[in-house]
Amino acid sequence: MAKSETSLFARMVVRVAAVLLFGAAGLVVAAWFYARTAADVAYDRLLQGAAVQIVENLAIIDGKVEVTVPASAFKLLALAERDRIFYRVIGPQGRTLTGYADLQPDPRKLPKSDEVSLLSTHFRGSPVRMAIAGRRFFDPSFTGPAYAIVAQTTEARHALISELTSRATGLVGIMSLFGLAGAVLAVGYSLRPLNRLGAALRQRDPRDLTELAVEAPREMRPFVDSINHFMGRLGGRLKQSERFVADSAHQIRTPLTAISAQLNMVDETGLDQASREHLDRARERVTEMARLIHQLLSHALVIHRFESTALAPVDLVAVTRHAFRAAVPITIDPDIVVSFEAPETPVIVMADTLSLREAITNIIDNAVRHGAVARLEVRVRTEGETQAVVEVEDDGPGIGAEDWTRLTQRFAASSGGKGVSGLGFAIASEVTQALGGRLWHRPATATERFAVVMTLPLAPEAADRKEG
Amino acid sequence: MRILLVEDTHDVGEAISRRFGAVGHAVDWATDGEEAAAILEFTRFDLVILDVMLPGLDGFEILRRIRLAGNAVPVLILTARSEIDDRVDALDLGADDYLVKPFDFRELEARARVLMRRATVGEATNVIACGDVLLDRTNRSVRVGKREIQLKRREITLLEILASRPGRIFGKDELLDRLFGFDEAPGINAVELYIGRLRQKLEGARAKIVTVRGVGYRLSPDGEE
Amino acid sequence: MRQAFLGLLALGLMAASGLAQARAAEGERTFFPAPAQQARVLNLTAATDLEAMAPLIRGFQKTAPDVAVDFRDMVTNDLFEKAERACAEQRPEADLLISSAVDQLVALANDGCVLAHRSRETSALPAWANWRDEVFGFSFEPAVIVYDSRHVPPEDVPESHADLADLLRLKPDRYRGKIGTYDISKSAIGYLLAFYDSQQAPMTYGRLLESFGRAGTLTRCCNKDVLDALEDGRIEIAYNVLGGYAYAFHLQHPYLRVVVPHDYTIVLSRGMVIPKQAAQPDLARRFVDYLLSAEGRAVTDRQAFYFSAANPLPDDVTGPKALMASGIGRPIAIGSALLAARDRAQRERFIAGWVDVIGPGQSR
Repeated sequence: MAKSETSLFARMVVRVAAVLLFGAAGLVVAAWFYARTAADVAYDRLLQGAAVQIVENLAIIDGKVEVTVPASAFKLLALAERDRIFYRVIGPQGRTLTGYADLQPDPRKLPKSDEVSLLSTHFRGSPVRMAIAGRRFFDPSFTGPAYAIVAQTTEARHALISELTSRATGLVGIMSLFGLAGAVLAVGYSLRPLNRLGAALRQRDPRDLTELAVEAPREMRPFVDSINHFMGRLGGRLKQSERFVADSAHQIRTPLTAISAQLNMVDETGLDQASREHLDRARERVTEMARLIHQLLSHALVIHRFESTALAPVDLVAVTRHAFRAAVPITIDPDIVVSFEAPETPVIVMADTLSLREAITNIIDNAVRHGAVARLEVRVRTEGETQAVVEVEDDGPGIGAEDWTRLTQRFAASSGGKGVSGLGFAIASEVTQALGGRLWHRPATATERFAVVMTLPLAPEAADRKEG
Repeated sequence: MRILLVEDTHDVGEAISRRFGAVGHAVDWATDGEEAAAILEFTRFDLVILDVMLPGLDGFEILRRIRLAGNAVPVLILTARSEIDDRVDALDLGADDYLVKPFDFRELEARARVLMRRATVGEATNVIACGDVLLDRTNRSVRVGKREIQLKRREITLLEILASRPGRIFGKDELLDRLFGFDEAPGINAVELYIGRLRQKLEGARAKIVTVRGVGYRLSPDGEE
Repeated sequence: MRQAFLGLLALGLMAASGLAQARAAEGERTFFPAPAQQARVLNLTAATDLEAMAPLIRGFQKTAPDVAVDFRDMVTNDLFEKAERACAEQRPEADLLISSAVDQLVALANDGCVLAHRSRETSALPAWANWRDEVFGFSFEPAVIVYDSRHVPPEDVPESHADLADLLRLKPDRYRGKIGTYDISKSAIGYLLAFYDSQQAPMTYGRLLESFGRAGTLTRCCNKDVLDALEDGRIEIAYNVLGGYAYAFHLQHPYLRVVVPHDYTIVLSRGMVIPKQAAQPDLARRFVDYLLSAEGRAVTDRQAFYFSAANPLPDDVTGPKALMASGIGRPIAIGSALLAARDRAQRERFIAGWVDVIGPGQSR
C-alpha cells in the first residue's frame, strides 16, 4: 500500500495561500511605506505652516524685535490632536524671544533666510519632527536672521500610518480571502474530473473490463489511457486463458472421444471372457476420465467466469431444467423414477447462467451416478420472500457429514480408487458461495429421502415484484 | 431414417456412422463444414448430428444457416469445447439437443431416437389429459400435477394407449401388439413389466392403472377400481 | 519642620473634629479621614473651593472607604509653579492636581510632567475634555455674569457680552465702580477666560475692555473675592465668574442672579492631571475614574458645580436652556492649542494691554 500523500486539493490550496500570503505581505509593506510618506507630507505641512506663521509675525517695533505667537499657529498644530508641541523663537544674537530655550537645533540645519528646513530629532527624550523657518531682517536696528523653531511629537503621524496601514491590511486581507476562496473553488472545480474518474472506478464492477467512458481533461488522459490499456491487457489475458481452456478442452476431448469410439467399435463377439472384462474396464476408465476432464474444465470455467462476468437476473427454473436435461441421460435405468418439479412462473436470482447450470448439473449428475436407486426428484421452489431453493432428492444412501465436508472442498476424490466422485460438489459449493447462497444436504430419515439443497437469495427486484 | 453426420475426427465419425448404420439408418458423413452446408441445401434429412469444431464452416454457422433457411430438421450438437462463452449455448442457437464429448454412444443413440420420433409425430399432436396426468405428445413429456416425470419411450407409448380411451380395458395381447412391432419378440411378461414401471412412475397421481383380473388394464382418471 | 508641625496640627484637629483645617502659605489644607479603617492617604491638590470638592471627596470615599484624602486648596498660579518645580526637580508632590486653569495643566502635560491614564471612564470623555489621556476635564462650568437684582433694574440686566458693553457705554456713570471681574494679571483662570474672549469675539472683547476701563472696573484675584464684593454691595455686576461658584452663591443669596450670555458662552471644564512623580498614581487613577463615573458626574452636576453638558440650565438662571446643543456654549478644548495662551511673550503683551486699558488702580 503506497503511503498516503497530502491530497492534491490541500497541496494546491496551500501553495496558492502561500503565494497570496507573500503577495499580501508585500502589499502591506508597500502600504506602510506609502502611509509613512503620506503622513509625513501631511503633518510636515502643518509644522511648516505653523513655523512660517510664527516667523512672519515677528515685527520690529521701536527698534525691538517683537514676537506675537499667533494662536492660529497652535490651532494648526493642534490638528495633530495628541501631539506635544515645542517651539522657540530666536531673535538677534541668538536670543530666545519666547518658547523652550532648550530647543536647540543643529546649527548646520538652520535654513537660509526665508526658507523652512525640516528634520527629525529628539527633544526631552521624545522623537520629534522639527520645522525651522528663517527670516532675515534688514532694519537699521537689526540686521540678521531670526528663526521660528516648531517641533512636534510624532504620535499623530504614527497613528495615521498605523491607521492607513491597518486599513490597507484589512483590504489586502479581504482581497486575499476572496482570492483564496476563489482558488479553493477553482481548485475544487479543476479536480472534479479526477473525482469523477475516482467515482467511476469505485462504482465499476471489478469484472467489467471495458474502457472507461469518463470525460477527462488532457492532463488526465495518460492516466485514463493507462487504465484502459491495463484493462485491455487484462481483458486480453482473460480472453487468452479462455481460449486456452477452450482449446485444451478440444485438444483433450477429441482424442478421448476417438478412443471411446474405437472401444465402441470393438467387436465383442470374438472375445473371450477375460478380454471382454478388460474391454469393459477400459470403457469404464475412459468414461471416468472423460468426467474428470469435464469437471476440471468446468471448474476452470467457473473460476474464470467469476473474474470476468457480471451477475445478471436469471430464471432458476429454466437453468435447472436445462441442467436436468443435460445431467439425466436418456439411457438411465428405466426402473428409476425421475421427475422434475418447478413453479409455473420464473424464479429470478442474480447469477451467471453458465456457472449456475454447471453447479446444478454437477449436483444432479452426482445423484444419477451415486445416489438414485429407484427415485430421483429435482425441485425448484421459493421459500419465504427472499429465498430460492433447488432440491435434488434421491433414495440412495446419502452422504455422511464427514464426506460432505470433504466433498465440498476442492479436489476431493473419494479415496481407495472407488472412482472419482470428483469436483462436482466442489464446483457446486464454490458457485453457491459466490452467489451468496448456501449448499447443504438433508440426511435421509425414516420419512424423508436424502437431498442436496442449494439455497440462493432471490433477486431484489423479483422479491419486490412478489410483494407488489 | 436418413441422418447427416458432420464430424471431422475419423475415429468418431466412423464409430457413429457404423453404429447408426447397424440399426438400419442411412448415414451421410461429411468431414468438412462447407461440404456439409452444400449437402444440406439439396437433401432432406431426418436428423443432423453436428460437430462444432470443423474445418471450413464451424458447427454453429451451419446450424445458423439451417435455421435461417427455415429448415426444421432436428439437430444434435456434439461439442468438445468448454461452454465458456455465452454464445456457445447450442440450445439457444436452435439446436434440439447436444452432447459434450466424449459421450456415451448409447446415450447418443437414445437421444437421436427421441429427436427423430419427435419429428415424425409432428407438431399436430397435442396434449392428452387423464385426471391429473398430462401427456404432451409434442415434446413427449409427462406431468403428474406439477411434477414432470421422465418416461421411457415404451412407457410413454403405453401411457398414450391407455390414456387415449380412459376407462376402456385393454387386453394384454392388444397392448403387446401395439407396444412392440411384429419383428420384435418380447416375452409375455413384457406388458406386466412396463405396466409396473408406469405405475411406479405415476405414483402420487390420482389417475391410476387398474388391473382387471383376467382381462387386461384400464386407466382410471380418479383412481376408482 | 513646618511640614511636620502642620502634620501634627492636622492630626490633632482631626482627632478633635474629624475635619481638620489649617491655613498656610501652601493653601488651605483639609483632611478627610477614611470612613473605615484607614489604609492609604490620597494627596489631592486643587485650585478649587473646598465647598465644591467636599461632596466629591466624600462620594469617592464611599467607593473607597479605606482611603483618607488630604486635600489642599491653592490658587491656580501657585499650583502650577509648584508642580513645575516638582517636575523639574523630579520630586514627588501631590498624587493628583485639579485646576480650572487647564492651560497650565496642558503645559505640564506638554512638558512631560504627567502620567497617562486610560480607562473606560476616560474613553467616554468627549475629545475636547481629554488630551493625550493625560489631562481630563470633569466639570462643566460656563463663564457667567452675576448681578445684584436689588440694584440692577430688569431693563439693565445684560444678557450678552454686547449688552454689557452697551450698558456700560450708555450708563457709564450709573455703573461706575459697580462692575467687577478677575484681575487677569493675578488670576490664571481670569487670564484664560479673557484670552478666550479675545479669541472668540475680538471686536466685542475690545469694546468690552474699553467699557470696563471707562467704568472703573473693580478687579479681584479670585472668583470668591469677586463674589464677596458683590455680596458686600461694593459692586452690582460681576463678569466672567465660573458658573458653579456663581450658582452656589445665588443659592445662598437669591438676590444675586446668574446670567448665561446668549451670544456666546465660554465653557470651562476643570482639569486634572496625575503628576509624573505622584507617589500613588493608582489611587489618583481611582479618583479620576470616580469623578468621571456616572456617580461622580451626578455629584459634580448637582452638588459641586450645578451645570452639566447633558442637562439644561438650572431654572432660575437666565440664558439659553440648551447651551451646547444651540452652539452658544464654546468649550475651552483641552489640547495643545491652549499653549498659545501659555506663551510668555503672548501673555506679557496681553496682560500689558489689559492693564493698560483697565488700569491697575482699582485692583486689590
